[in-house]
Amino acid sequence: MASSQELSDFLRNVERRAFKQTVYAVRDDHAALDIVQDAMLKLAEKYADKPVAEYPMLFHRILQNTMRDYWRRQKVRNLWTTLLSSFGAGKDGEEDHDPLDSIDVEDESDNPMVQLERSQTIKIIEKAIEKLPARQREAFVLRYWEEMDVAETAEMMGCSEGSVKTHCSRAVHTLAALLEKQGLGSKVIANLGVMS
Amino acid sequence: MSIDNANNQGLDNIDLESKNFDTEGKQIAGLLDAHAKRLSMRTLKQLENGRERAVKAHAAQVSGVSLNQGGTLSGMSAWAEHHRVASAGLVLVAIIAGFVLMQTLNKKESSDAFLLSADLPPEAFVDRGFEPSLNDGKAKL
Repeated sequence: MASSQELSDFLRNVERRAFKQTVYAVRDDHAALDIVQDAMLKLAEKYADKPVAEYPMLFHRILQNTMRDYWRRQKVRNLWTTLLSSFGAGKDGEEDHDPLDSIDVEDESDNPMVQLERSQTIKIIEKAIEKLPARQREAFVLRYWEEMDVAETAEMMGCSEGSVKTHCSRAVHTLAALLEKQGLGSKVIANLGVMS
Repeated sequence: MSIDNANNQGLDNIDLESKNFDTEGKQIAGLLDAHAKRLSMRTLKQLENGRERAVKAHAAQVSGVSLNQGGTLSGMSAWAEHHRVASAGLVLVAIIAGFVLMQTLNKKESSDAFLLSADLPPEAFVDRGFEPSLNDGKAKL
């Protein structure tokens, strides 16, 4: 059984990645935060008796399921919104901007050109990842970002290892082609990665 | 070149291609990972809050009593979730107990109605002097 300290360390280690991955999937920062917090709580409440070694797989499964629940709810909500908007319901006003939202944690790299180049590249990649089909995105995230091997990714996704390879290959080809189009070849990416 | 050699070369090419896209995928993921470390202060704070809540829930689970977000005891609901048949039985027992209680109250209500509709005033039933005649009346009934 994992101790509370082990759980805390595990969550601290994965929370930022989990948040970004969820943002790419649901395209809404607030919803992504809710989903990640919900997944954390579910892991702690339902799997308190599991050893810490099982947490990565369990957490990602919970996260994926929570995202699916969110999409289901969104579908129903969108249906009602469409119905109600046809009766002339007014659009809600924009939320107030909070300055805390725009304060980023300090960038370790002090070269402004590198920072600019990296942030532009990241924006392009993020847009491309958001546009990937859900299964390709899931495979890419688990295989390369979470560094799971093909077998683990296949188990997580509930498909064959061949399918994982296909999804990953297609995802990387799509991303690489898009980056190439923007003049960002793999060498540039590698350089930016080294500098980060 | 023999067919076997050609096949082997084909497999090598596939492997090489697979390694290439793996490397490229890892490079892209590396960039995303570096970027994920730079989130807004608000987001980090909220993630920290979520983590702390999860750790508290975990500690409560480990110690046997779980507190839910509202601060109420949720140990019972967790127990009920795990023992569906037993909880259904408990609900049934509660319904039967309620029914029996209703019956008892109805009986009391009917005795109250008897007292109010009797020819004698209600005080007569608590007066010891009337007891023999009341008993006679009951015996005749």
